[in-house]
Amino acid sequence: MSYVTIENISKAFKGQTVLHDLNLSFKQGEFVTLLGPSGCGKSTLLRILAGLTSPEQGVIKIDGCDVTNVKAKDRQIGMVFQSYALFPNMTVSENIAFGLKMQKIPSETIKQKVARMVALVGLAGKENAYPRELSGGQQQRVALARSIVTEPKVLLLDEPLSALDAQIRKNLQKQLRTIQQELNITTVLVTHDQEEAMAVSDRIYILNEGRIAQSGTPHEIYTKPGSEFVARFIGNYNVLEGSELSIATSEREFSNRLYAIRPEAFSAQYMEDSYTFSGRVNKVMMLGNITRYEFSSNGIVVTAEHLHQSDEDVQEGARKTLYLHKKDVIPLS
Amino acid sequence: MNKNRPFFHYLTIGAVLLYLLVPLLGTLIYSFSTQWHKTILPEGLTFHWYGELFSDSLFLKAMGRSLILSVGATILSLLIMVPAIFSIVVYAPRLEKFIQALIVLTYAMPGVIIAVGLIRAYSNSGMPMVVVTVGAYFVGILPYMYQGTRNSLRNIQAVSLMEAAEILGASRFTAFLKVILPNIMPGVLVSSLLSFSILFGEFVLVNLLIGGSFETVQVYLYKKLNVSGHIASAIVICYFILISILSSIIVKVTRSRKETL
Ligand SMILES: Nc1ncnc2c1ncn2[C@@H]1O[C@H](COP(=O)(O)OP(=O)(O)OP(=O)(O)O)[C@@H](O)[C@H]1O
Ligand SMILES: [Mg+2]
Repeated sequence: MSYVTIENISKAFKGQTVLHDLNLSFKQGEFVTLLGPSGCGKSTLLRILAGLTSPEQGVIKIDGCDVTNVKAKDRQIGMVFQSYALFPNMTVSENIAFGLKMQKIPSETIKQKVARMVALVGLAGKENAYPRELSGGQQQRVALARSIVTEPKVLLLDEPLSALDAQIRKNLQKQLRTIQQELNITTVLVTHDQEEAMAVSDRIYILNEGRIAQSGTPHEIYTKPGSEFVARFIGNYNVLEGSELSIATSEREFSNRLYAIRPEAFSAQYMEDSYTFSGRVNKVMMLGNITRYEFSSNGIVVTAEHLHQSDEDVQEGARKTLYLHKKDVIPLS
Repeated sequence: MNKNRPFFHYLTIGAVLLYLLVPLLGTLIYSFSTQWHKTILPEGLTFHWYGELFSDSLFLKAMGRSLILSVGATILSLLIMVPAIFSIVVYAPRLEKFIQALIVLTYAMPGVIIAVGLIRAYSNSGMPMVVVTVGAYFVGILPYMYQGTRNSLRNIQAVSLMEAAEILGASRFTAFLKVILPNIMPGVLVSSLLSFSILFGEFVLVNLLIGGSFETVQVYLYKKLNVSGHIASAIVICYFILISILSSIIVKVTRSRKETL
């Protein structure tokens, strides 16, 4: 039973179609991510969901009601903008209380709810600060608190973390996920960072040029990319033509046009049921606990990754044989 | 050479200041002097002219009329122009180019031509010329109100703020009142003060349109020039003090705004 459904939504700006007949559905309490490169229409879709932009065609349903023609202010949606859009003339508390005041909730109740929310997002002590006196991460948390204190039916997040540095970002991702699960809010996150999408989502929709390229759980998407676009967009997949694979492995069975191979699927140990790549190590890169290197087999270059271990040192220029499970060679459509 | 530079700078600045201030200083002294014809310095100092000026009910009335005209036009534009500019900038940015064209027009039209046009158009319409003047002022300060309001709206990213407020359940009217207005107020205030002080010194329109029937300070001053230079000087000094106070308020507001942003 889906809680939010997006049916046949299309949108064009000045004659240019940016969303092509999209169909998506989210379950209650689900954390969904819209992932895609810049300009693919993620924000537009989110704004249509929020009622800030109207679609040319299609229907939006939330909790069984058709809200396609309902105004943004009546949709009971929470939204966090990339620019935060905090009200500069209001303190942290006043910002968080704004939505509750609009609902004409008694001020005693507002006080309690705001206090609980301030504690939840870890802003205790900052209640009377103005947005300009807060760091980026703190402002972000105020924006989050402001949008969830009203207990919206759906929470929309448009690249809420993209302006923050990696450390804070990782922390906030975790917090976001925890809070979302605690309150069980149906959440739609927009991002173009595939790691972020993988880390927090129950379900990912990958968008490309206004169309859905693939959808599934992070695991499904990562292990079974369905197209060249998804394979290239997710992680550092090797995308090889069938003929290239034939040359690299000296086997003839690759009839498909394109194949995807995860770099960590290569192994230096012999395995049953695997293809053999013999060749030379080109470039070695240390990425923390991972060693990534280019490997050339019969002139075909692939990227391979290993957990970094001192006993399995990879030397530039060394000859090496790599094994790859047959099931890890994924044919692409 | 290098060593002399600061001195040289001070000298030029001093010379420019002197050049600007001498007429003012002259006016100031003249407004306080009993007689100043044949001597280098005035023959004696007195408050007489100020006393005469402020006991002249014609002056006080003229002052009141000037205030009514300038304050009226400024408030009118606050009430009508600010919401209008807000709507255009936020909801119909495509219309902005029409406002910009209008602004160019207000600059391109010499006051005399506007005055003649207005007299031709309205003198037989039954509409009081005072109202026509306020209307002309209202249009005349459009550039200042537009610039100030639009820049403030851009600064606070009014579009996002409106969207955020609406999603939180606020109507557009409430969002404008509670979120937008408090944030653009300093900028709008500066524009209003600027508009007011420009209108308060405007002479061409006010003289041609309503000079005889609705005597303002400007017209009063013009008449006094032929009667007593001392009183005219006193008026100029009063005017100067008023404008200085307004300017310093503008500077203050602008500064405190920079600190908070
Ligand atoms: N108001 C608008 N007027 C005209 N074109 C627009 C408007 N909003 C978006 N577009 C166009 O629609 C397309 C999708 O924009 P959108 O903002 O949805 O992309 P996005 O996926 O959110 O990208 P990013 O990751 O860069 O934020 C872009 O080509 C953009 O130029
Ligand atoms: Mg976007």
